[in-house]
Amino acid sequence: MITLDGVSKVYRTRSGRRTVLDNVNVTFESGHNFGVLGVNGVGKSTLIRLIAGSEIPDFGVVRRYARVSFPLGFGGTFHGALSGRENVAFIARIYGAGIRGVLHYVEEFSELGEYLYMPVNTYSAGMRAKLAFATCLALDFDLYLIDEVTEVGDQHFRQKCAEAFRERMQRSDIILVTHNIHTLRQYCDRGAILANGELTLFDDIGTALSRYHRMVQESL
Amino acid sequence: MSDIGQIRQSVIGAASAGDLEECLVRLRRSDIPDPERAWIYCQLSETLYHKGNCDVAVECARSAFDLQPEKEEIANLCAWVFSNCGKHEDAAAAYERLLAIRPHWAAGHRHASGSFAAAGRLDRAISHGMKASDLDPYSFEFAFHAACLLEAVGRPAQAADYLMRAAALDPADSGVLRHLSATLFALEQGEQAVALALRAVALAPSDRLNALHATELLLRTNRYDEAAAIILDVIDIHREDPVALRLLSATQMLRGLIEDALAAIDCALALTPEAAEYHLHRANLLYRLGRLDEAAEAFGRAAALDPSNPDAKRSQLTVYFDSGRFIEALAIGGELIRTSPDNEEYAQAVLQVLHRRFEMLDGDYVVLSERPLRRPRDLRPRPTIFAALQTQLRVIYALMIRETRTRLADSKLGYGWALLEPVLHILMLSLVFAVMMRGRPPIGDKFFIFYYTGIIPYHLFVHASSSMTNAITSSGPLLQLPLVSTFDVIMARGLVEVLTDIVVAIILLAGFFAVGLGLLPHDLPALSASVVAVSLFGCGIGFVNAVINAFFKSWDKIWAQLTRTLYFCSGIFYVPGMMPDWIRDILAWNPILHAVDWFRSSFFPEYEPHWLDRSYLAIVAVVSVAAGLCLERGLRRHLYEPL
Repeated sequence: MITLDGVSKVYRTRSGRRTVLDNVNVTFESGHNFGVLGVNGVGKSTLIRLIAGSEIPDFGVVRRYARVSFPLGFGGTFHGALSGRENVAFIARIYGAGIRGVLHYVEEFSELGEYLYMPVNTYSAGMRAKLAFATCLALDFDLYLIDEVTEVGDQHFRQKCAEAFRERMQRSDIILVTHNIHTLRQYCDRGAILANGELTLFDDIGTALSRYHRMVQESL
Repeated sequence: MSDIGQIRQSVIGAASAGDLEECLVRLRRSDIPDPERAWIYCQLSETLYHKGNCDVAVECARSAFDLQPEKEEIANLCAWVFSNCGKHEDAAAAYERLLAIRPHWAAGHRHASGSFAAAGRLDRAISHGMKASDLDPYSFEFAFHAACLLEAVGRPAQAADYLMRAAALDPADSGVLRHLSATLFALEQGEQAVALALRAVALAPSDRLNALHATELLLRTNRYDEAAAIILDVIDIHREDPVALRLLSATQMLRGLIEDALAAIDCALALTPEAAEYHLHRANLLYRLGRLDEAAEAFGRAAALDPSNPDAKRSQLTVYFDSGRFIEALAIGGELIRTSPDNEEYAQAVLQVLHRRFEMLDGDYVVLSERPLRRPRDLRPRPTIFAALQTQLRVIYALMIRETRTRLADSKLGYGWALLEPVLHILMLSLVFAVMMRGRPPIGDKFFIFYYTGIIPYHLFVHASSSMTNAITSSGPLLQLPLVSTFDVIMARGLVEVLTDIVVAIILLAGFFAVGLGLLPHDLPALSASVVAVSLFGCGIGFVNAVINAFFKSWDKIWAQLTRTLYFCSGIFYVPGMMPDWIRDILAWNPILHAVDWFRSSFFPEYEPHWLDRSYLAIVAVVSVAAGLCLERGLRRHLYEPL
């Protein structure tokens, strides 16, 4: 369960101040998967980072009653000069997980083979994504934050990811940001709409989607 | 003359006897002068008209008019016959002829105007109508007639002038007031228009047209409740008036009484079930009530009754779409596209339906088969302070390992440089000063150890403070990890530097022993204290530097220059005692000088400089650490831009 208590976040951009969240009080209940909807640039990624704790709110508190993952789909933490294994070991160490077990899982899952011993900046974008995915799955989080995962890898790997997630969702929750409605419906049972600094939760992803459709059409 | 009289007698006689052919033949054959013949044609025409034989009467009148057009009586009679027989063009020509003779004949202008209007030539009709009213400004009818024509062709400003003339002549005529109200509304004088419309209603309360007009104006000026009062009165009198009922429905809709509006339009449709517009209106009401299925049906009726209007069908598509009946929506969309294949909006609407349909299919399919069910998990307690501290230590440890690994991986030399740098410094200084000082260092008898005691504290400070300067700017991606804070990355760097330098110092000392030039410190606690103090100072300044560098990106270059000057001010390759007092007093402000002397004095028992102030270094170190930590803590949100 994640509770946002009076959370405000304002961004200063070149075009002036932009309010992402304005005194938001919501609770993401555990046992549910949330899909976050919002137009481009409204601050969905910022919301995810606030929930993760990568960013600190201007006001208010984010209370986490669960082990929250780092935002997945983000391979930026990998250091290019270090090998895949060293990078994985670093993250395992940070989260206090058994390095050996995590490395074993990543080796199995990512299918990167000998590449794991090579510096990450020799990897293709797809390989980096595979490594990030595998690392995130190797660590046993209660809540996975997924920010616009572009479909990675080949058909086989994608299927593997989907299966692993389905298995993991037996005991873990996800908060998902994506524009792919198919994915949203597949993984999420609840929805959230972020607009004008307000975050509205819906008990049903269908309601959230149709409300969002209507909202987008009205703004056109 | 008698001859002519006879002919006229026989002609009229034949005409009255009904022998028309005979009579016309006689008239044509007979050798009569034109004026007389025209006159006979005239009389014949009049007789025939009274007998009801309009066609021939008009023929005769035309013949008469052709023969003697300038005769006033003939033109007069012809005009009369023409206009009564519906030959308005001819009548207009006759009146114009008459007006050429009597230009100031107001009634004539009025007649001409009427004929032209009936013949459809409104411009001529208007000019004659205006002339008539201008010639006789006291005629109510002339003014009203001109105004109606002007209103019909959309010249409301002039129409208003004539209507005001008419209203002045008969202030009690509600019809004039209604027309004046309409023209004023067209001239955007809404207030006055409504006032006049209400006066017309007050003058003739039972007049249906006045009431309908007033209602419409009130609706257009957003006075819905007054409109409702008037239209309800009308419906009390005219119970079966579909137009009034349609207006009532509009009124109730605008007042937000959608149910009442629906009841009214239902009554109207019971009277005129074929009115397409009424069905359209009813469909919109049903849509607003959320009765989507009925709305769709009503739109369908409207579309069937008026196939030329595609809006009804387009609306029907929207209703089907909103109620999730995608198959029907697609059928309607197909019809729309077939009738107007170039309409982009229709194509997009259909596309939207298709998209939504696919989404719904996906959703249903997934919901049924794939989404796992699970129970809400127990809440994890929030970490205690102890656990949080443990996590932070773990993170710093992980960062330190990463830092050393990175350093190994980044350059070929890797950690070699950490060892090589002080060695090169010491060797260089030893070589230079061995020559200058003729083989003896300022203190003790070992060059290497003397320079070693200068370089090690200096490097402890410089390495820590410089390396921490870049800590935030070079670990942007790392900071995306929720557990990693700016404090952690700065601290980790500082610790790595300090530990590296300490290890290097120990290795070097061991190296000196190995080559037989070693010297053990005589005061180990003092040595440790000086190392701790200078490391703290380096880390404190490192924190300050990291914060400054986050805002001012080239600070690291400036800092590198500053440390280079420190090299010469810190007594590394000399003893401050060698300096004049005043220079030494200035140099004594430099905390690193104290660090070097403190470190040095723990090696050489004979070296106990009086200017050495250990507490100064300790206080500066503690203050710098406090300042650095406060800055980091206070500005944490602004230290880096998230990706």
